[in-house]
Amino acid sequence: MSTQSPDLNAPAPPPPLPPSAVVAQAAPFVRLPKSPGLAAFLSLFPGLGQVYNGQIARAFAFFFAWVGSIYLTSTGHEFPFAFMIPFVYLYNMIDAWKGSNAINQRFLGGRTEPDEDAAMESPVWGAILAVFGVLILFNNLGWLDLDRLARWWPILLILVGAWFVYASLQKRKAVESGDEPPRL
Amino acid sequence: MSRPAFSPEGVTLGVGLVALGVLWTLSNLGRVEMLPVLRTWWPLSFVVWGALELADLAIRRSSGRQP
Repeated sequence: MSTQSPDLNAPAPPPPLPPSAVVAQAAPFVRLPKSPGLAAFLSLFPGLGQVYNGQIARAFAFFFAWVGSIYLTSTGHEFPFAFMIPFVYLYNMIDAWKGSNAINQRFLGGRTEPDEDAAMESPVWGAILAVFGVLILFNNLGWLDLDRLARWWPILLILVGAWFVYASLQKRKAVESGDEPPRL
Repeated sequence: MSRPAFSPEGVTLGVGLVALGVLWTLSNLGRVEMLPVLRTWWPLSFVVWGALELADLAIRRSSGRQP
């Protein structure tokens, strides 16, 4: 019986790849459409990060909220608009970061936040814009004096607070009824 | 989420730019004073934008488009 001797002239098999190289081969590099870091950086100028994300409406909203807050603070309405300047500025950066992540998530086939979908399907955004525009336009035309209404602005806080309470109660009901999974 | 029937912010931006161009041209021709007109009427852009958002939502709901 003859035993097969190993062929000493055959090329040696390649050494095994390190685990990181195997992973890199299995999952090809995917270039994501947006960079959250760049979006946040561009938002140092409010609205620019949203322009980068292609969210023109949000860009306008943040830019005008920022400029409007500065303008109203400088014209003697320090309270509450001086508090809004840093809030708008920081929230604009966070929003740009989150917007980029949401776009990347959609690109990879993931789901977006259900709250964003709900906001897009609600008439509240359009109604607020239209009412805000009408109020300022009437003020400019002299048909309404917003300065006389200024003392009633905390009612807005009451309405916003009541809305948050209502929305959280609705969400709790949805979670309890099993329509929406609880958030971790 | 339904797909938008049209882009309200795009239409608003386009209409706003057209209006600005017309106003600026008239101002250059000496027909109107641009800044006082702008100072008075700029909130109209919010009204148009809000109305278009509501119209977009109404169109999508009436056509019953699904994701």
